[in-house]
Amino acid sequence: MSAVRAIHGPVKIVPSESQVLPETRLVEGRPTLHEITSGIAHPLESRPGKAWWICLALAVAALLNLGGMVAYLVGKGVGIWGLNNSVGWAFDITNFVFWVGIGHAGTLISAILLLFRQQWRTSINRSAEAMTIFAVMCAGMFPAIHMGRPWDAFFIFPYPNQRGPLWINFRSPLVWDVFAISTYLTISLVFWYLGMIPDLATMRDRTKDPVKKFIFRILSLGWNGSHRTWSRYEVVSLILAGLATPLVLSVHSVVSMDFATSVIPGWHTTIFPPYFVAGAIYSGFGMVLMLLILTRQTMPPQRYTTLVHLDKMAKVTLLTGMIVSYAYMTEFFNAWYGGNLYERYHFINRATGPYAWCFYFMVLCNVVTPQILWFKKARTNVALLFIVSILVNIGMWFERFVIIVVSLHRTFLPSACGMFYPTKYDVGILIGSFGLFFTCFLIFIRVLPMIAMWEIKGVVAHSEHERALGSDAAARAVAGD
Amino acid sequence: MKQRCRSEQEEKLVEIGEPPTSTYWKSLEERRNGPHFTAEFPGGLPQLNGAGAGEPTRRGFLGMMDFSLAAVGLSGCRGPVQNAIPLLVGSDDITPGVANYYATTCRGCASSCSLVVKQRDGRPIKIEGNAESTLFGNGTCATGQATVLSLYDDARFRGPVWRGQPAKWDELDQRVLDSLVEARAGHRKVALLSSTINSPSTLRIIAQFSQQHPNFTHVMYDPASYSGIRAANASSFGRAVIPHYAFDKARVIVGLEADFLGTWLSPVEFARQYAAARRPEGSPSLHVQFESGLSVTGSNADVRIPIAPSELGAIAVALLRRVARKAGVTGVSEGKEFFSDAQKLDAVADELWKHRGESLVVSGVNDVSIQTVVNALNWFLGNIGKTVDLTQPSLQRTGDDSAMAELVEAMNRGEIHTLIVYGVNPAYDYSDSQHFLEGLDKVSLSVSLSDRPDETSSRVHAICPDHHFLEAWGDAEPVASVFSLAQPLIAPLFETRAAQETLLRWAGDPEPNYYTYIREFWRKNLYPLQKTFDSFDAFWDRSLQDGVAVIPSGTVAHLPRLQGDWTEAAQTILQGEEQAARNDDRYELHFYESVALRDGRHANNPWLQELPDPISKVTWGNYAAVAPALANRLGLSEGEVVRLKTARGQIELPVFIQPGQHARTISIAVGYGRTLVGKAGRNVGVNVFPLTSMAAGLRTYSIRDVALEKTGKTDLLAGTQSHFSMEGRPIVLETTLKELKQGGETGENKKALPTLWAEQLHGEHSWGMSIDMNACTGCSACVVACQAENNVPVVGKDQVQRQRVMHWIRIDQYYSGPEDNPVSVHQPMMCQHCQNAPCETVCPVLATTTSSEGLNQQVYNRCIGTRYCANNCPYKVRRFNWYNYTDNPDFDFNMASPLGRMVLNPDVVVRSRGVMEKCSLCVQRIQLAKNLALQGKREVAEADIQTACQQACPTQAIVFGDLKDPNSRVSKLRQDPRHYEVLEDLGVRPNVGYLKKVRNPMSNV
Repeated sequence: MSAVRAIHGPVKIVPSESQVLPETRLVEGRPTLHEITSGIAHPLESRPGKAWWICLALAVAALLNLGGMVAYLVGKGVGIWGLNNSVGWAFDITNFVFWVGIGHAGTLISAILLLFRQQWRTSINRSAEAMTIFAVMCAGMFPAIHMGRPWDAFFIFPYPNQRGPLWINFRSPLVWDVFAISTYLTISLVFWYLGMIPDLATMRDRTKDPVKKFIFRILSLGWNGSHRTWSRYEVVSLILAGLATPLVLSVHSVVSMDFATSVIPGWHTTIFPPYFVAGAIYSGFGMVLMLLILTRQTMPPQRYTTLVHLDKMAKVTLLTGMIVSYAYMTEFFNAWYGGNLYERYHFINRATGPYAWCFYFMVLCNVVTPQILWFKKARTNVALLFIVSILVNIGMWFERFVIIVVSLHRTFLPSACGMFYPTKYDVGILIGSFGLFFTCFLIFIRVLPMIAMWEIKGVVAHSEHERALGSDAAARAVAGD
Repeated sequence: MKQRCRSEQEEKLVEIGEPPTSTYWKSLEERRNGPHFTAEFPGGLPQLNGAGAGEPTRRGFLGMMDFSLAAVGLSGCRGPVQNAIPLLVGSDDITPGVANYYATTCRGCASSCSLVVKQRDGRPIKIEGNAESTLFGNGTCATGQATVLSLYDDARFRGPVWRGQPAKWDELDQRVLDSLVEARAGHRKVALLSSTINSPSTLRIIAQFSQQHPNFTHVMYDPASYSGIRAANASSFGRAVIPHYAFDKARVIVGLEADFLGTWLSPVEFARQYAAARRPEGSPSLHVQFESGLSVTGSNADVRIPIAPSELGAIAVALLRRVARKAGVTGVSEGKEFFSDAQKLDAVADELWKHRGESLVVSGVNDVSIQTVVNALNWFLGNIGKTVDLTQPSLQRTGDDSAMAELVEAMNRGEIHTLIVYGVNPAYDYSDSQHFLEGLDKVSLSVSLSDRPDETSSRVHAICPDHHFLEAWGDAEPVASVFSLAQPLIAPLFETRAAQETLLRWAGDPEPNYYTYIREFWRKNLYPLQKTFDSFDAFWDRSLQDGVAVIPSGTVAHLPRLQGDWTEAAQTILQGEEQAARNDDRYELHFYESVALRDGRHANNPWLQELPDPISKVTWGNYAAVAPALANRLGLSEGEVVRLKTARGQIELPVFIQPGQHARTISIAVGYGRTLVGKAGRNVGVNVFPLTSMAAGLRTYSIRDVALEKTGKTDLLAGTQSHFSMEGRPIVLETTLKELKQGGETGENKKALPTLWAEQLHGEHSWGMSIDMNACTGCSACVVACQAENNVPVVGKDQVQRQRVMHWIRIDQYYSGPEDNPVSVHQPMMCQHCQNAPCETVCPVLATTTSSEGLNQQVYNRCIGTRYCANNCPYKVRRFNWYNYTDNPDFDFNMASPLGRMVLNPDVVVRSRGVMEKCSLCVQRIQLAKNLALQGKREVAEADIQTACQQACPTQAIVFGDLKDPNSRVSKLRQDPRHYEVLEDLGVRPNVGYLKKVRNPMSNV
């Protein structure tokens, strides 16, 4: 298979190193190609277990809550939230940035790691991409519902209209958001779908249910597995990866400009684009970790998500966590060094004001927590990683809350200072967005192959022939099993 | 501005009132045969002219067809009355869509300010000051601005009421007349209990009434009493009057607990005088204020000294002692000084003495001794006849506490047979309201002329509702010889009758007509005194059109001399001080009128309830203002409910920590805690009138020996500002008089900050504003004026607590200096109309843009409500419609009630929910002025446009104009050395500028 060859090289490990380090194994055991296929297809072909049903029930309950609250919100007005004259954005935009951030890991894994030929991405990229799409869906909901008049949300699209020269304001970062997010969603969706086509063809060939077969037939776009198909497929994958790579950096850079281009102390900072991108990858990996650990522990085939994967993701988390911590420090340093009265007040207030607890909680989650990942033992401890991943996500939510609310509640004129207190609708809609996310994800893992079968097959030394072609070290490692 | 007077023809319209309902019939014929068709057209069908009857043209025929169809169709309908223009015969003066302005007189309080009221399509919609008035000028106060909303109050009585049941006027009149006859027959007393009446014609009617009823007494009663001043002047100068003060002529003003810029006597007039005397360009007067709670007046003083109410007398005596010593008069015993800071008093006395004849000492305390000492002070300083005018006294408060007390006693003794209550509510605001109510029960017929429910009218037998003043004729004489006329702006909305007509009816006039009466009264009494006009009609028309007339009375009064025994008064005060015990755990309470609600009669006015207090910025309720030191000592936090135990009972109130509050004194506003009132004011705050007491025949508004207890409860205050420190930012800039005189940097040589932005190109105009921080007293009239002009919704206490107040203009309050006696500033803050507006760049849909005339404009239709603009506004002046405030079942008054909506300005759109709004610099007024200029083929003149806030400002702190015109006032003020822009370093280039506050520190205090 050409696909195998294309990404085959890095499996070879230089012998001298291999004597020190055992070869990393991306798949546990030695599954045959058939075992891989049937293993991954298993959840689609069997009845879901009790755990799945419980999770789905919880998620759907939260989703229904979201539906009800959003309906009330649209009917009554955004006044049901705790917003006020001083704090015009709070949970709404916090949630938006949070979910956009979550959505970052998918593209990073599928595009950038593909370009860097990181083999370990193969077992996680499918679910990470799915996560991206669901997260961006959640994110996209918030700008729409946060509007005072959501029924007029279409005003922000530059569509031809009969209202004379009415056009959108290209100077507004909110317009940039619209383009950035919609582009990102489109590319992610295409990437995800394209990556699934060989597997959809596999499912088409496996399933006996005529309805499913029909659907898979349509979705697999007549995939026949020929060399020519594979060859074109490879080319398209690379092109798309190339296209998607800048998006990883651009989307959150643009989102950060919602704040950076404003005049508000705490928002008006040039550090925001890289800082937000790092934060996004950080939270995205946190979420991928969490989801993988969850599915790994609850769904039968554990062999595709090994400790090797977790270890590598933990390293990325550590790295981005350090970047984020560095950004925090830089902000404080600049507030002091810049000598701007308002900026300085803002950062003193961030650390000592009424929302200081949010700030310290954020520091605890985002700066202190990832330090534990310096230790290999921690990186390979599933339970600990799970806790870390949750803390990272909470911490990143608080980071956005701190940036948005703490900056707004104290402004230039002290007379306009206010406070934000969330209402049950703020909290309910936040929980509801998780309901939407998990409902989508839970359904996804039951109706589509959550691991890219064809890519896994490429990284498994599945035949004696391959092993013979491989290095001695690889052979030794396999023989040693 | 065009002012009109009512012609005879129009007066008929006023009398028409409510159109008859279909059940009435006019004649037997009509009853049998049904209403005659032509009755729809009382003037007969209009004749078509042009085309002759013999030659029908095609156009004429079609026109007739159209007319007939429309006529047939219309004859079947009766439109909703509230929305119709209530005119059956079109008037030349009323063009739909074009506003008329009529002069009238405010009856929001007894100050009787002259007003010009804007009337659109038959509805009065906006109160404005009357520039013709020599007393009050262009300005108004917040209460006056809000009175127009009280006209459209759902709580108003729809008609007369007899024992809780709707009744007919004839029936009620008969009952009252029977009762009066009975009283006369039994030689029983008839009493009229009214508020201050300074209407000469009304006083004449009452005199006429008293002639009919020999046992008649008329008692005037003011809940916030001034009778101490009158009593003191009676003893000092032999005249029971309140002098007419001239703050503009005073170079040194010493206020002893008199909030003359906020609520005391005639605040609009005094604020105007005060600002005129304190322009930094001249030589501004010095103002020293002694007071316990921080008032609007105190916050403007150069030197403010917090004192306890009990120390006030000692301070007055100490000042008198020093002044008398300088004047070489003996008589004040050199006793112990009770006020610790003798040096300050020395300095104040020096300043006063230095400016003999051009200084002024005023005190608002209702105490004869203190007022007598103040009289002596003004006498020795030579102020009588200069800054204190006793010959042309103020008639703005004429209530008499002892007469009121006597009336209540008489009622309780059962001596009063018939009691008529007019314009007062003693069941709520009398110190012993229970006693009053007991007396009321012993009266055989009690009548209230109140136009809306209150605690008193709910306990009387008959309610004969008076008109709202905007529906009524009237006159007033606020200061002797200065007359002000009032004319109706709208036909009475309900079946009410002018109180004067009611009294005339009971005086025996079967067909009373107050309009004829007042006209005749002016013909007989005032017309002969003037020499300008040859005919009465000309005199009347002129007076009505101007609204004011200064008619000096023929008699020349001689200057009074000090004759009373002021030494005894001083001695009384000192003896009282000797006896008073001081204990750190016993506090004093001080009651004051709040700027918004005053004595509580406007409690059902949601604009006033939601008006932030000029000092504390608290809305919807009163509170116990405590000093920061006291709060620290007792561990009190804001909103914590405390129990205050006094000899006259106890109350529970939330705490507000007020910088500048005297350490042992707790200030509480009266006027809250109304129970029998419309929805807006019911149970808002706590009524502290029962804690006031009578001492030596005078109401006392302070109480000693109060214990404070914590209750453990909290009652969150609805404040609009929570942070009162400027944090060292360039928000309110100050300079000193010395610096200013030496010449600082002027607007011209000030270096403009560099910018990366392209210069905004403007068309013909560039509208801008300049706000004088030195003139602004913080009185908040502009806030209500803006609310009325721009249809700003009232949002209610809950929404204010959530920091969602909608006011387009707010007055920021900042303190600097020590907490126990800080320096304060008031800063009006509204959209700054930035030329590089941060709000504009961030709006995704271009809903906010800079116009070609420099206005930052908000396009409601385009706004989708992302609120990014509000987040990015450095001044936080943008207001978001969180809900549909016009359709709020929890809050169904003002904009959410059909009657309340009649106050809306048709020129300004009512915003729906989900859109952002903010100050437009009254763009509708700019547009109107431009249209009128276009029609008149002339340029827009500066005087053509006044924004609502500018117009309401009694001190003329706000100047609006065209920055493109180098000769406009606002352009010139931009070059003023005091000019600055708030947060200039942000580079947003606001079109609203400010003039620095000028401090004039008294060197030796």
